Amino acid sequence: MTVVLRFENGSVRVDGDVPDAVLDAVPEMEADPRSGGYRTPAVAYAAVRDALAAADVDVDDRVLDLDSLPALDTTYELRSYQEDALDAWTDADRRGNLELPTGSGKTVIAIAAMAALSTPTLVVVPTIDLLEQWRRELDAEFDVPIGQFGGGQQRFEPITVSTYDSAYLKAEDVGDRFGFVVFDEVHHLGGEGYRDVARLLAAPARMGLTATFERPDDAHEVVAELVGPLVHRLSVDDLAGEHLAPYDVKRVEVDLTPDERERYEANQETFTDYLAQSGIQMRSGSDYQELVKRSGNDPAAREALLAKERARRIMLGSEAKVDALGDVLDRHRDDRVIVFTAHNDFAYRVAERFLVPVITHQTSASERKEVLQRFRDGRYSRIVSSNVLDEGVDVPEANVGVVCSGSGSEREFTQRLGRILRPRDGKTARLYEIVSQDTAEERVASRRR
Amino acid sequence: MLTKDLLRVSRRGGGYQPVFADREDRPLAARVVGTFQGHVDETRGDLDGALRELEGDAEDFKLVRGLAKCCEHAARFETRAPVTPSSVRRAAFVAAEELDGVVTPAERERALDRAADSLAVAVDDVDASLFADLEERQVLASFDAPWDPDGLLAQYNLSLAQTALFDAVEVRVRSSDPKALVSAVKRLRLMYEIRKSDDDGVADGSPTVREVVVTGPDALFSRSRRYGTRFARLLRTVAKASEWRLEATVDDHGTERELVLSDDDPVRVPDAEPVAEVSFDSGVEADFAARFEGLDLDWVLSREPEPLATGYRVMIPDFAFDYAPGGDSDAGPDFRVFFEVMGFWTPEYVEKKLSQLADVEDVEMVVAVDESLGVGEDVASTDAAVVPYSGSVRVKDVVDVLREYERDLVADAAAALPGSLTPADDVVTLAALAERKGVSEDALADVAFPEHELVGRTLVRPAVLDDAASELADGMAYGDAEAVLDEYGLDDASAALSTLGYRVEWTGLSGGTVREK
Repeated sequence: MTVVLRFENGSVRVDGDVPDAVLDAVPEMEADPRSGGYRTPAVAYAAVRDALAAADVDVDDRVLDLDSLPALDTTYELRSYQEDALDAWTDADRRGNLELPTGSGKTVIAIAAMAALSTPTLVVVPTIDLLEQWRRELDAEFDVPIGQFGGGQQRFEPITVSTYDSAYLKAEDVGDRFGFVVFDEVHHLGGEGYRDVARLLAAPARMGLTATFERPDDAHEVVAELVGPLVHRLSVDDLAGEHLAPYDVKRVEVDLTPDERERYEANQETFTDYLAQSGIQMRSGSDYQELVKRSGNDPAAREALLAKERARRIMLGSEAKVDALGDVLDRHRDDRVIVFTAHNDFAYRVAERFLVPVITHQTSASERKEVLQRFRDGRYSRIVSSNVLDEGVDVPEANVGVVCSGSGSEREFTQRLGRILRPRDGKTARLYEIVSQDTAEERVASRRR
Repeated sequence: MLTKDLLRVSRRGGGYQPVFADREDRPLAARVVGTFQGHVDETRGDLDGALRELEGDAEDFKLVRGLAKCCEHAARFETRAPVTPSSVRRAAFVAAEELDGVVTPAERERALDRAADSLAVAVDDVDASLFADLEERQVLASFDAPWDPDGLLAQYNLSLAQTALFDAVEVRVRSSDPKALVSAVKRLRLMYEIRKSDDDGVADGSPTVREVVVTGPDALFSRSRRYGTRFARLLRTVAKASEWRLEATVDDHGTERELVLSDDDPVRVPDAEPVAEVSFDSGVEADFAARFEGLDLDWVLSREPEPLATGYRVMIPDFAFDYAPGGDSDAGPDFRVFFEVMGFWTPEYVEKKLSQLADVEDVEMVVAVDESLGVGEDVASTDAAVVPYSGSVRVKDVVDVLREYERDLVADAAAALPGSLTPADDVVTLAALAERKGVSEDALADVAFPEHELVGRTLVRPAVLDDAASELADGMAYGDAEAVLDEYGLDDASAALSTLGYRVEWTGLSGGTVREK
């Protein structure tokens, strides 16, 4: 008897007599008492198909519903290390992750893979800026319309770019429409909320791209299950000098103003007093969780948390930092400067005081596009942004970066560095780190080294 | 719906119960509404500041924020700036660029002057407009709350209950409107199965209760929280029913907790129509229900009773008849007969109904079939009892079928009774005894009562009869005799007199004299 495979809302429904060998080969396959038959998450589609073929079962495979696509061509000539990465992925049955430093042309590798497969493809990216960037890139490269999920649009095309958020919502609908899926900044997929994006898509071919595959929470193991193993890895050191510009790091320490210092200490004291009183010791994240939990019905705990947050804001947004930034901007009037802040407030303070074009989460899509475009074509030579430009966004020819307040995570630092690892007139790129002296922030910055 | 950080739940006893707002929170609700009303034409930043002050006074800041969140839906914010902010920014950034960057206040002033020139506006307007579209600088243009403080509390409670479902991985629902429930489940692309409460394997004799277990497609593989917002939307449909109960399994940061909501909770859907007068799918059904309820039968009719499992689908019969001897549904055994009216619709409809009937779980089912369908035999082959009709369903035909069940029920009950009974009472009516035994009076017909004598429909010990007899005499007024018998609990006077060997000589409509036979 023929086994029928269908895509149903992010799962593959299997009807018919399924041999035990297949059930053993695909542990995810379960009998479904709600609908009859068997079911697997869509991610297991390739495994189901292969197992049925191995068991020599007649299959009526209705899972994928792929639009026809003309053969895709790319004009890119791969560099040798890009070629190596692509080969490793192809040899791994077109499932797997590539770890390459920011600025090494990961996009180009994915485009070459798309051209080789010429099948409907979904590209999943973490931010609106990357969405725009990929769309522009694919538009220029392929002679087909490019669809978009996210940034206020939900338009399907055989080649579509989506944010992780939109893909999470759409995967059940469109999980059968793509033969290939590319996850840019694939480490995001390890996040509890985003795993479903990969689980509910049926696409057999999968590629993950990242500069930092391993996650401190070991969630990269989940990514490996959903996308495939890490098939190729290249470090910054492998590329430095040859393909990437060398860079210097300069650390600027500033004092809080006396007034800020006073307010900082007062708030910090409220916080530590509460800890002392309540016997909570801040050793781990769960201690902090405990405090958050208490704040629900204990006004003192809530006040302590608010005080801590006020102290943090004073330190992150201190006046001295703004002044120090002014010095940097003054010194680099002829250079292309990107300023990063951790908070919108500070980004707007910088923008308002120095009239520097600003991009935050609040910036509209059209204005964001305009600012980036003007920065790219040289009409603007400086830009300030809160976290939105963190990852992968292609900002050409910036040679000075300023990190005004960082969260201290390894990844953020690497990727912010990556922003300015671009040659410009043979000039050395430079990264400034502006931190407040003698505050908790200093410890964060030194932890990064 | 609220955001998850504003959720207020009690985890007491391993549960996960929303902490609803109640009457005591009314003054707070009024203050939140007042704060919004008082901040029309002021910035969002100022409004937020005022709300934060309310938080300080309130017992739970999350309640303040939750109420404010509900109010936001009725608030309209707008940017107020002399010049469009994005154009001002462009002009200012370009001007700054032309000056090789702005660092000092003097440079800033010069750049703004240039920008003002290029836009042909005043420089003060440039500065005032530059970032006037930032969220916290936007102005509350209007606040049109569609409710009073009580209405806000109701809105909050519904939102809170919905938010509590965000992390649910499965919900189980009983509803007086299962049809709406099932169609909402399908609309939300969820899946369901029917589970009977006695499926737990405990034979405790409690009546079967069917509930609809709702999960998402992916639930088979992981206890997924991705359907939480859909469960939250489902609650709107569930809470529209007049009677409902929803249980949910919630994944609370890795710990499974049980959430129970029902029509006892302050969860109402504000824009729901008032619980609708019973609506019927067809005139035939409405007509039948009206006529059936006009009769005084040992059966109680309920409409769209409960969903039945049929294969991997659900069937919701039009009616159920519950056995209620003497009109009392607590008397007699729990026995339910389902009734489906199959009118003339489309061939697909008929085919679907037939396949449902073929696969439906093992229940008593009566189907009224429009004769013009010509499918009576097909239906009969599914084990259902068939009542053919044309035009309208004849109540008598249905009652005849029910009578057959009744005969069986009576016979079953009788078979379960011992051959003889010795009630402790001196005097007891058959009706009272039948009720005590949970059977109909007819079922007692074959039972022997060795210590009692049957007087009319009442069992009496001979000694009581003797005592009563000693107080009666030939020629007594009927009214006096009746009073004597009444004292002994014999309220069927004529039957008692006859048993004791008297007759009544009637002298009018009520008066008479007792004579020995």
